[in-house]
Amino acid sequence: MNFMNRAFLNVKAKKGRTLLLTLVLSAILMFVLAGILIQNAATTAAENAKESAGATVTLSANRENAFKKLNSSSSKSKKLSLASVSVKTAKKIASSSYIKSYNITTSTTANAKSFDAIETSSSNSSMSGGPGGKSNSSSSSNSTGDLTISGVSATSTVSSFSSGSYKITSGRGIRSSDAGTNNVVIEKELAKENNISVGSTIKIKSTSGTKYTLKVVGIYKASSTSSTSTGTMQSDPSNTLYTAYTFANKLKGSKYSGTADSVVFNLSNPAKANKFIKYAKSLINTNKFSVSKDDSTYQSMLTPLNNIKSFANKIVWLVAIAGTIILALIIILMIRERRYEIGVLLSLGEKRWKVIAQFFAEMFMIMIVSLVIAGIGGKFVGSALSKQLVSQQTTTTATTTSTTGNSTGGAPSGGGAPSGGGGGNSAPSGKSGGGNMMTTAASSTSSSQLSSQLSTDVDILSLAELGGFGLSIIFLSIMLASIGIMRLEPKKILIS
Amino acid sequence: MLETKDIGYWYDHQANALYRNVNLQFAEGKTYAIVGSSGSGKTTFLSLIAGLDKPSEGEVLYNGRAINKIGLTNYRNKYVSIVFQSYNLFTYMSALDNVLTAMAITNSQHKGDKEYAIDMLSKIGIDQDMAKKNVQRLSGGQQQRVAIVRAMCCDAKVVVADEPTGNLDETNTRETIELFQELAHAQGKCVIIVTHEPEVAKMCDETIELKNKEFTTKSAIKA
Ligand SMILES: Nc1ncnc2c1ncn2[C@@H]1O[C@H](COP(=O)(O)OP(=O)(O)OP(=O)(O)O)[C@@H](O)[C@H]1O
Ligand SMILES: [Mg+2]
Repeated sequence: MNFMNRAFLNVKAKKGRTLLLTLVLSAILMFVLAGILIQNAATTAAENAKESAGATVTLSANRENAFKKLNSSSSKSKKLSLASVSVKTAKKIASSSYIKSYNITTSTTANAKSFDAIETSSSNSSMSGGPGGKSNSSSSSNSTGDLTISGVSATSTVSSFSSGSYKITSGRGIRSSDAGTNNVVIEKELAKENNISVGSTIKIKSTSGTKYTLKVVGIYKASSTSSTSTGTMQSDPSNTLYTAYTFANKLKGSKYSGTADSVVFNLSNPAKANKFIKYAKSLINTNKFSVSKDDSTYQSMLTPLNNIKSFANKIVWLVAIAGTIILALIIILMIRERRYEIGVLLSLGEKRWKVIAQFFAEMFMIMIVSLVIAGIGGKFVGSALSKQLVSQQTTTTATTTSTTGNSTGGAPSGGGAPSGGGGGNSAPSGKSGGGNMMTTAASSTSSSQLSSQLSTDVDILSLAELGGFGLSIIFLSIMLASIGIMRLEPKKILIS
Repeated sequence: MLETKDIGYWYDHQANALYRNVNLQFAEGKTYAIVGSSGSGKTTFLSLIAGLDKPSEGEVLYNGRAINKIGLTNYRNKYVSIVFQSYNLFTYMSALDNVLTAMAITNSQHKGDKEYAIDMLSKIGIDQDMAKKNVQRLSGGQQQRVAIVRAMCCDAKVVVADEPTGNLDETNTRETIELFQELAHAQGKCVIIVTHEPEVAKMCDETIELKNKEFTTKSAIKA
């Protein structure tokens, strides 16, 4: 272990050189650590994103196939027949371990009887003349009511409510125990206009003419952004009433009992969306039904995180490689300066590997000090870098998701949000509006979550990882620099 | 103990050989002086018997074994100590650490390593205070003496020295050579010194002159 002693004496005696090497190695390790910290933070954030940003899978009628059938059929009636999802099947699918919760939705329209619906400029007339006129005829009725009845199993599982864009302001939401009742949750604007409060009863008339009395159990407030985004093309969101899905079925007619327009499954792990879809497809008739996922919230959080992660990964490797090269060059120069010393050691019969081991031991001592310095500095570099990255990433993804949001929103049942699909009457453009609203909500949550979750604290594990990188860097650079030593002949060094 | 068998050496062409067919024998317990004009190849010869270089032909035998069979690194480590013309000390160490490091590398054991080294250094005029200073703060002559003590403190039986007294004054030269003599006689070492000083050569047991590519042994002119 004599080389250790030599290394110690050398590091102690050559203070200037030791200081220089410490600074260089600290700088290299600081950036490596910053990269590691950001990488770890992004990994943790991605884990958290799985839990906080749920993904949903919607089971609904296969519109694509239904349209195909409609276009190919020779019959003049041109009536679109959409299959209803059986609640029993839905419950069977929901019993899988992939599922955290699920929401059964049935939407239809009705007319206000004891009160007035909110009037908006062109709501109904634009609906009938809207694009995709063919789909206008609903499966249940030909005329359209002025109220949208959203039958759900629970409002808490509706994405508009869970994302925070709709809020219950008084009373309560619809719960699964409301199944079979005539309980209703209405919008604040509608309640104000008609002096309705929690506990009041209201009367509505189905499109086929049957009258129903509903009991108001809660009032919700639709956020202003959603009313502007949907208001232009769709009936005012204030005219949406949330009831138990069983009531919506009752409105549509007796043959709809035990069915649903669609069932939205909230996944416990968004990363397993595709696996679940495969599983669900094995249980349904895919000709009649389709399952589609909406993990845009998850994806919109995951994409920037993955970008940050891969960027941090590049930092780590680039700095490590560049650092190795820089350090190797410095050590090469250092070793040239120490040729005589090496020559004496070799002439004393010291083994070459022990000469190299001495250099390694010297660098190791320097590395320990550098690790401490980098540990202190890396936190600051890391947090500064990650702040920069997060602000960059969230702005870029906000723009990309809103554009993709438009395209997926236009696809059948892509919205997944009952507010986007106004019963069977939903025009494709209306759907796209719903899609848009969803993603703006998603990206705003993702940015706030990103910045709060990318905490770049230095822990033992990342320090250990840094130590590993440090060891590899000094090992490789000494090996590179030592190729020269291995060839040195003591006579050539000592006898000039 | 040390023997050269038909060795020859040349840098580029055989025709320009420094010498060929050199057959010399060095016995333990004796001091040898190698003299010759500058550029005649004394340092080169020393590097051959010290295992720093291989002869172009022939071989060097240590106790009858060819040194390349022993392994040059192993040979240098165990059987030979070298004092260089340009001392070549570890510049980042004290004189004492230089000696102790060499002893550690060569696994040389003496009763109380540190005391032994301090004692040896004081014998050639380097006191304890000086011994603990960084060697770069010693004079050229002092550094030369440290290099000599470093070689002497190792257990190797063969000590080769290239102009060890080049930087020393008359008194120090005398003391140093006396130390070499004492070492050879008391510890049975074989000391081979290259020198251009006739004074030094006279003090050694035997003188070998390198002249016109030939080595000739002159009997010691001893009183
Ligand atoms: N690396 C080399 N390549 C070619 N020739 C060399 C080399 N080293 C030394 N020589 C030549 O070999 C000869 C012997 O050199 P050496 O150093 O052994 O002489 P020396 O007797 O020790 O001289 P001095 O008394 O000046 O120290 C010289 O003529 C020198 O020019
Ligand atoms: Mg010479």
